Formats: sequence, structure tokens, C-alpha cells
Amino acid sequence: MVFLSAPRWLRSRLTDRFWRVQEVLKYARHFRGRKNRCYKLAVRSVHRAFVKATKARRQKKRILRALWITRIGAASLEHGLKYSAFISNLMKSQVELNRKVIADLAIYEPKTFKSLAALAHRRRQEGFLAALGDGKEPEGIFSRIVHHY
Amino acid sequence: VAKTSLTSPPWPEVKLPDPVEEAKYHAEVVQKVNEMIAAGQYGRLFAVVHFASKQWKITSEDLIMMDNVLEAECGDRIRMEKVLLVGADDFTLIGRPLLGKDLVRVEATVIEKTESWPKINMRFRKRRNYQKKKIIMNPQTVLRINTIEIFPCLS
Repeated sequence: MVFLSAPRWLRSRLTDRFWRVQEVLKYARHFRGRKNRCYKLAVRSVHRAFVKATKARRQKKRILRALWITRIGAASLEHGLKYSAFISNLMKSQVELNRKVIADLAIYEPKTFKSLAALAHRRRQEGFLAALGDGKEPEGIFSRIVHHY
Repeated sequence: VAKTSLTSPPWPEVKLPDPVEEAKYHAEVVQKVNEMIAAGQYGRLFAVVHFASKQWKITSEDLIMMDNVLEAECGDRIRMEKVLLVGADDFTLIGRPLLGKDLVRVEATVIEKTESWPKINMRFRKRRNYQKKKIIMNPQTVLRINTIEIFPCLS
């Protein structure tokens, strides 16, 4: 005999729908409105949240670097230097500290930051003197400017 | 001759201190700092260390977490060699770019080696039926900085 109604009772049914839905809702519990309760709305919001988090991980590096630069600029202005002069002269004196550490020093170790600013200032003056040269005219030039003394 | 607007250059005149006197002053300062270090008249030392391709500002009893694997077992003592800066309350030693290994000694111990929390990497394009989801767990290492020591061998 062939039992024809048996396959009708034994069809495969989804038994863990609750847990599949909870997997998504657990990431939406702190959202605002119905999207923290209703699965259809939550799925969309959770996917957008994941994508934004992925992109933000790359932007965080840029944002933090800009923050450090602002802080270092403000701290160096207190000591009479601009950010560009400070960093360029520090690099020329072969001090290879990165912006994160210099920003931390500016906040927590003010005396150390002052000494770094003084180092950069001194290197700047030496650079100016080296650029000005001896003050003499180059050889072989016949100058027509008459000096009155 | 009368002073006009073009007699002197528009930038401020730069005068450096006398090199001989400066050398004397530098030698004095170095000797004083050497004496201070030898006498131990410093409180807590902080150091800037280049480790795991990042720079850290560390003190003793500090915890550091790196986002990669270290080939050392838990409980191993490690000496960090690339020290960029060492400072105390009254003096700082700035390396150009590194300080000598006979001047500073930074010791650390490996405490734990774990994985990070599951970070979700998701790409999604709307109306294109395109989405990818990947869960990333980076290995992490936690170090405890035990001591920072300096020795009076400045010159």
C-alpha cells in the first residue's frame, strides 16, 4: 500500500524562527522607535548601522589625526610657535615623535612640551641664519650700488 | 645716514648665543642631570616607546594592548629597546631619534593573549541585491610595563 497522506504531515517546517529573529534584534535593542522591536524595520536599520560602522573605522583614523593636529597647534601657540613651524623644525632636529604622543605630552606633561617647543624654536633660528648666509655679495659681481657711510 | 624703511631687512634680526659659553652651559646642565640621576632624585618616570609599529607613552604599572600576535609566552619578560623619550618631573631626555640602550631600560611582561570582540564588516548596496557580512576577530596581546630605569651615562 502507498500512504499518500504521510508526506503531507511530514513537511519540513522552520522551528528556530525565534532565534534567527533575535540574532538581528539583539543589535537593534538600543535604537529609537519601532525599529527596536519590529523585525522588518530592524533589519534595515541594523544593516545600515553595520555599514556605517565599517566605514567609520577608516574615518576614525583621519578624525583622530585632525584632532591631534588641532591640539598640538593650540599648545604650540601658547609657546609662541605655529603648528607648521613646530612640526617641521622638530622633524628637522630628528625627533621622530608622532602626533598622538605629542598631543598627549601637551596635555599631561606641559614641561616636556615646553622643552620641545624651545627645541623647535632654536632649530628655526638656526635655519634662518643658515638661509641668510654670510651677508657678503657673491664673488665676481661688480655692484653699481654706491654705499654712503 | 638716516634710517629708512629699507635700511634693515623686514624680518627680525636673529642672534644666537655665543657657542663657547653655550658649550659651557650645556656641559653644566648635563653634569647636573647626571648627578640627579645617580642620586635617584626623580619621582615617576614616563617613556615614549616605539613598539608594534605604534608609539606609546608609558609609565610603570601600565597596561598596553596590541592588536597583533607576539611570539612570546604568557609571563615572559620583554625588554623594549626603541625608546624615543624619557622624562621625569625636573628633566627630560629626548632622543634623536632613539635613546641609547645603555641609558634606558624598559621592562614589560606578557599578561594575556586573546581575541578581540567580534567586529562586523558589512557591505551593502541598495536596490542591487548586494550585501556581504564578515565577522573579524583580531588576536590581541596585553602587556604590563613593569619598570623604567635610567642610568647616569650622559655625555
